[in-house]
Amino acid sequence: MFEKSDQQLISKALNGNKRAWLNLIKRYESQVYNYGIRMTGTREDALDLMQEVFISVFRNLSNFRGEGCFRGWLFKIAHYRCIEFYRRKKPHQALDDSPEIESGEPCMETSMVSSQNANQLVNAMQQLPLSQKAVIELKFFGQFTFEEIAEQLGISANTAKSRMYSALSKLKILLEVEYA
Amino acid sequence: MPNLNQSELLAAWMEGDLSPQQQQQFESLCIEDDDFSKQVEMANRASLFAQDYQSQAAPNWNQEASFDYQASQKWWQWQGFSVFSSALSIVAIVLVFSGFEASVEGGKMTFGFRDSGQRLEQKVARQLDEFKAQQNAALNDYVASLREQQLDASTQLTQYLLASSRQERKEDFGELIKFINEQRNDDQLFYARQLNQLQNAIYDNPTGKP
Repeated sequence: MFEKSDQQLISKALNGNKRAWLNLIKRYESQVYNYGIRMTGTREDALDLMQEVFISVFRNLSNFRGEGCFRGWLFKIAHYRCIEFYRRKKPHQALDDSPEIESGEPCMETSMVSSQNANQLVNAMQQLPLSQKAVIELKFFGQFTFEEIAEQLGISANTAKSRMYSALSKLKILLEVEYA
Repeated sequence: MPNLNQSELLAAWMEGDLSPQQQQQFESLCIEDDDFSKQVEMANRASLFAQDYQSQAAPNWNQEASFDYQASQKWWQWQGFSVFSSALSIVAIVLVFSGFEASVEGGKMTFGFRDSGQRLEQKVARQLDEFKAQQNAALNDYVASLREQQLDASTQLTQYLLASSRQERKEDFGELIKFINEQRNDDQLFYARQLNQLQNAIYDNPTGKP
C-alpha cells in the first residue's frame, strides 16, 4: 500500500478531509510528544504542548508553502509554542537564563522506557537554558542540520553552533555531577 | 577553506562536513586542546545517549478537536457583500436626494443632476413672482391714483354743483326779494293810491257820506 506524502495529506486536510489530518497527526504525534517531554520535563506538560502545537499547525496549515520539509516547519511551530509555554509558566525567566532547579531529584519520568544514559541526558537538559536546550533537542533527538535548526529557531547557523558548544560544556559538567 | 573556530569545527565534524584541511585542524585540536577534545567526547556521548532514548507513545487525546476546519466560503457567501450592498444603498440614496437623472435622447445617454433644471425653474418662478408682485403693486397704484382722481373730480363737481346751486338760489332769492319788494312797492303804491283816493274821498265829501 502506498503511503501518502505529507504534502498530499496537507492538501486533503486543507480541503476538509479530517481523515488526512488525523493521519498526519498520527505520523508526527509521537515525535512532538517526545519533543514536549524533553523540552518541558513532564508528560502532562508535553501533552498540553502537543495539543497546542497541532492546533496551531492546523490553523497555519494554509501558510505552509511546501518549500521546506513539513517536519522542519512543524518543529518550528513547536518551538514557538514551547517558548510561549515557558513564558506562561515562568514569565520572569529569560530564555537564555538557566532554569531554577526546583528539586534535587532528577526528572525520572522517562526512565520507564529509555536507558539510564538517555534519561540522564534528558534530565541534564532540563537544567539548560531554553535556547541551548532547543539546539541540543533538535540536533541530537531531531537529527536536524545546523542550517535547519537556525531556520527553525530564527537565528543564524553560527549562533546555533555556538549555542551547541556552550550547551555541550554545561551538559558535560551536569553529567559529570550525575555520574559522581 | 578558511580555518574555523572551535564551535564551527565541532559543528562541521558533527555533520560530517569537514574538508581534509579542517579534518587535520580538528584532529590536531583534539590532541592539543584538552577542552576541545572533551567537547567532542561530550557531543559523541550525547549523540549515543540520544540514540538510546526510547520514544514514548503519545497518550490518547482528542485529535479531532484540532481539526478546526471551516469550509471556504462560496462567492455568494462573501462577507463583503453586506458592506457592498450598504454602500450601494447609500449611493442610491445620495443619487435620489441629489436629483441624479439618466436620460436617453437621440440614442445618447446622458447623466446629470436634476438640480440645475430645478434651480432654473425656481429662478424663473421667483422672477415671475417678483414680476407679478410688481405688476400688482403698479396696478394698485394706478387704481389708487384713479380713485383719487375720481374723488377729486367728484369733489370738484360737488363743489361746483354746490357752488352753482347756491348762486342760483341766491339769484332766485334775490329775484324773490326783488319780486317781493316790487310787490310791496306795488302794494304800497296801491295802498297809497287807495289812501289818496280815500283821502280825496274824505276830503271831497266832508259830511261823511260817501
